[in-house]
Amino acid sequence: MSKLKNEEKVHDVAQKEKKREPLVEVKDMVVEFKTERSIVHALNGVNLTIYRGESLGLVGEAGAGKTTTALGILNLMSEESARIVQGDITYDGKSVFKMSNHELLSMRGGKVSMIFQNPLTSLNPVFTVGEQIAMPLRKHMNMKRKEALKEASKLLEMVGIAGGRVTDYPHQFSGGMRQRVGIAAALACRPELLIADEPTTALDVTIQAQILELMKGLQEKYDTSLLMITHNLGIISELCQRVAVMYAGKIIEEGAVDEVFSRPAHPYTVGLLNSLPKLTGPRERLVAIPGHVADPQNLPSGCSFHPRCANCTERCKTETPDMLSITDHHSVACFNPMNQEYNNG
Amino acid sequence: MDNKLYESQADVRETEGKEPLVRAEHLKKYFKVKKKGMLHAVDDVSFEINQGETLGVVGESGCGKSTVGNVVMRLLPKTEGSLYYRGIDVFRANKEESMYLRKKMQIIFQDPFSSLNPRKTIYHILAEAYNIHKIGTKAEIAQRIHDLCDMVELPQNLLDRYPHELDGGMRQVVGIARALSLDADFIVCDEPVSSLDVSVQAHIINMLMDMQKKLNLSFLFISHDLSVVRHISNRIAVMYLGQIVEVTDADEIFTNTMHPYSIALLSAIPIVNVGKKTKRIVLEGDVPSPMNPAPGCRFAPRCWMAHEDCKNSDPPLQEVTPGHCVACFYAKQARERSEELRKHLLK
Amino acid sequence: MDKKIILNRMKHNPFFIIGATIIVLLLLICFLSPLYIQFDPTVSDLANKFQAPDLSAGLSSHILGTDNMGRDVFTRLVVGGRVSLTIAIIVVALQISIGVILGLFAGYFGGVIDIIVMRLCEIVLSIPQLILAIAIMAVMGPSLSNLVFAMVFGGWVHVCKVTRNNVLVLRKQEFVQASIVLGAKTPHIVLRQIFPNVLTQIFVVGSQRFGESILQEAALSFLQLGIQAPDPAWGNMISAGRTFMATYPWMVVAPGIALMLAVLSFNFLGDGLRDILDPKRKV
Repeated sequence: MSKLKNEEKVHDVAQKEKKREPLVEVKDMVVEFKTERSIVHALNGVNLTIYRGESLGLVGEAGAGKTTTALGILNLMSEESARIVQGDITYDGKSVFKMSNHELLSMRGGKVSMIFQNPLTSLNPVFTVGEQIAMPLRKHMNMKRKEALKEASKLLEMVGIAGGRVTDYPHQFSGGMRQRVGIAAALACRPELLIADEPTTALDVTIQAQILELMKGLQEKYDTSLLMITHNLGIISELCQRVAVMYAGKIIEEGAVDEVFSRPAHPYTVGLLNSLPKLTGPRERLVAIPGHVADPQNLPSGCSFHPRCANCTERCKTETPDMLSITDHHSVACFNPMNQEYNNG
Repeated sequence: MDNKLYESQADVRETEGKEPLVRAEHLKKYFKVKKKGMLHAVDDVSFEINQGETLGVVGESGCGKSTVGNVVMRLLPKTEGSLYYRGIDVFRANKEESMYLRKKMQIIFQDPFSSLNPRKTIYHILAEAYNIHKIGTKAEIAQRIHDLCDMVELPQNLLDRYPHELDGGMRQVVGIARALSLDADFIVCDEPVSSLDVSVQAHIINMLMDMQKKLNLSFLFISHDLSVVRHISNRIAVMYLGQIVEVTDADEIFTNTMHPYSIALLSAIPIVNVGKKTKRIVLEGDVPSPMNPAPGCRFAPRCWMAHEDCKNSDPPLQEVTPGHCVACFYAKQARERSEELRKHLLK
Repeated sequence: MDKKIILNRMKHNPFFIIGATIIVLLLLICFLSPLYIQFDPTVSDLANKFQAPDLSAGLSSHILGTDNMGRDVFTRLVVGGRVSLTIAIIVVALQISIGVILGLFAGYFGGVIDIIVMRLCEIVLSIPQLILAIAIMAVMGPSLSNLVFAMVFGGWVHVCKVTRNNVLVLRKQEFVQASIVLGAKTPHIVLRQIFPNVLTQIFVVGSQRFGESILQEAALSFLQLGIQAPDPAWGNMISAGRTFMATYPWMVVAPGIALMLAVLSFNFLGDGLRDILDPKRKV
C-alpha cells in the first residue's frame, strides 16, 4: 500500500515539474572565502534548481555550504572575503551577479525573502513589529504608512497573532511568535520565493509544530516557492516535495523527497539516515559515520566524502563524481551508489 | 576499572539488588524573582533509578528538567525534598560522605565549548579530579589518564592540546572521560548531544551506551529530543512546568501515551514519513513560564481536552497501569484519542 | 600555557617585540644611569645654561643640551626617568594587587560583598582621577609615599571592575560547575580555574595602567605636586621648560618624547601580551 502512495507522490512531482519553470538556477557555483591563514572552500560546484511553486529542502550539516548558497541567491555574500571562482546563479533567467543595484534591491524582500534561525536577533528591537512588517510593503509596493500598517495587521492575523499587536515591540513576544512575525514580514509582498534558514531550530518542539503547520497552510494558499534549509530530515519530509543533500560544498544527492528517503543512494545520505535514533521500531545500535566532517579548509581529493565512505574505490580518491540520474526524479553524485530499500520505521 | 587509586571506607558501601541506586523524593526548587513572585522551577519531583538503568527526562523550555539535574548534583541548593544515593542522604551528607558523593555522582554538560577550561590542556583537565582529591602520584595519575583515554577512544596525542583545538564531538568525549575519572556510577547527562552535529551525535550516544554496559552506569538523561531519549532510556519521564506529568517504560510511552501533553508532544515531532500524511495535535499559545502557578492542573490552559474540574485541583501522579504513572484525571480518555494518532507513528 | 609556546609566540608578535624592546631599553638606560652619567642632575651651573644639544664629545658633552639652570638635560632625563618608572612600577603593582583581590571577591561571591565593593568603586570614580590625586597631594603634602598613595587610590578601581566583570562571566561557565561537581572547594576554583582566565585581561589592563601612571605622575610633577625641584622627573622638566619652549625647545621635547615612548611601548606590550596569552589565537 505504501509503495503505491510513494508512486503517487512521485508522479505528483513529475506533474508539477512539467507545469513549472525554473525560478532559481544555481549553476556550477564555486565560492571561496579568504581567512587570515587559509582559504575556505565553501562551495565546490553547486548545481541546484528551484522551480516555481515547489518546496525544496536543502539538507546538510554545519559547514556544508547551505547558508552560503542561500545568501548567494540574494547576492548577499560578503564582498571582501567571498570570491566567486566560477559559476552563476540566475533568478528568473537573469544572473543575480549581473543585476543592477536597483534590481537587486527590488528583488530582496520583494520577490525573494528570507527568514532566519534566531528569532531573538532577526527583529530590530527599536521598531514595533508593525513597522517592521510595513517596511517591505512601503518599499516594494509603494504603500503609504497608514495603509502599510493596516496590511501589517492583516498579515499578523494570517500568521496567528492578534492584529492589534502591530504596535508592540519584539521583546514583548516569545521566540515562536517572533518567528511568526518574521514570516509575516517575509510574506508581506507575496514573494515568489521564500528562503527559510533553519527557522525552527531554536524553538521548542510544540512551537516548532505550530510554525510548520502555519507554513504548510501558507504554502497551499499562496503557491510560493520555498527553499527550506535544515538538518532535520523530518521537517523536510513534511514540508517539501524535493530534497537536495549537501556535503562539503556540493550537492551529492537530489530528488523527490519520498524517493530519496526510501531509496537513498549516496553513502552519506544512507549514513545520515542510519545515524539518527528512531522514534519507533527496534532500538538498533546507531551506525555513526566514521571520521570527521570534511574540513572546508582542507578538502580531500576526488570525492570529498571518500575518506569516510565504505564504498570507496581508487577512482573515488582521484576523480570527483558528477551527478547521474538514477530515475527521472533522483540523481546522485557517486561512483558506487547504494542500491537498497531503506526502512524508515 | 580495577586501577584503584583510592580506597576509602565509604567506598566499601555496597547495596544489594533491590534498593535503587538513586532515589529522589519530592524535590522542589523555587526561585524568588523580584517584583514578580515565585518561580516554581521544580515542583515535587520524585523518581528512582536502579543500577545500570537510564531514566530519560524530556520536556520543553521551562519544564524544569535541567534544574532537576542541577539540584541532584548540588549545583543549586534545593528548596525542599530529599535525595538518596546508595542510602546516603545526599543533602545532609557530612564532609567525608560529601567527598565520596562527588566521586560517584557526576555530570556531563551540554555545551562542549564552555564545559572545558580554555586555558588548560586536556591532560590537566582530566588530572584535575585527582588533584582535588589528592589521589595518586604523578606517575599513577598519568597511567590512569592514559587508561581513561583508551577507554573512551580518545587519541593519546590530544592530551597536550587545548580545548579549542578539538572539535565538538571530541570535546564531549573529554567531558565523558572527566565524568568517569573517579569511577562515578551515576551520571547526569544534561543535553549531552544537543549541541553536536548530527553525524557526531550517533558516536557519542553509542559511547555512552557502551560505557553504561561496560561499567554498569546509571544515567539521568535530560534532553528535549525524544528520539535520542527513547534510544538510550529504560524509563522516560515527561515534565511540564516543573512537574512530572507521565513516567513509564521507554517503549510504553510511545505505544501507550496517556497524558494529553505527552500526546501533543509526540505528535509535534516531525519525522521522516514516507508516503503518509501527518496528523498532529497543535497546542495553542506559548510554552508558559512556571511563575506563580495557578491552582489546578498546570496544563489545563493549553490542554486539548481540558474539563471544568481540571482547573480546580492539581491531578496527582498516579499509577494507572502497572509501572505507568500519569498526572491527569482523564488519562484513559486521552489514551483513546491518542490511538488515532499512534497509527501514523508506527508501521 | 606551555612555556615553549609562549616564547615562540613572543618571538613572532611585532607589538610585543617593539614594546618590550623599547621598555627594556628605557629601563636599562634609566636604571643603569649611575654608572655612566657625567653630570650632576641637581646642581645648577648657571654659566652653562641654555646650551644647545652637542654631540661632539659623546657623553662628556651635553648631548641633549642644558636647561635654564645649566643642568644637563640628558642626565636629568635618565635620572628622572628612573624615578618616574620606579613610581609607576610600584603604583601599578599596588593597583593590580588591590584591584584583583577585590574584583575576585566581588565577582565570585556576589551579594553584599559585591555591593560594597561596587559602591566603593563608584565613589572613587565619581571624582576625576587626576583631580583626586591633586586634592590628596595638596592635603597630605608632597612626599613620595603620599604620591604613591594618591595614585593608587584612584587607579585600583579600573582593575577591580575589569576583574569583577570577567569573574562574573566565568563563574557561570560550565567548566567551573564541572570543577564544583568534582569536589573542588572555593579557593581551588578561584585560583586554579577562574584566575588563569582573568590573567590575560590583567596583563592588558596592567599595561594600560602603566602608561596612565607615568602620565599621571608627570602631570602631578608638572603641577609641582609630585616630585619636587630640584629632583628631576619628566613632568617637572616639562613644567620648567614650558616657558622656554619657543626658544630652547630641547628642554621640553626630550622629556616629552621620553614620555611618549614609555606610554606607547607599554600599550604595545599590553596588546602583544593579550594576543600571546590567548590560547585560541593561532600562531
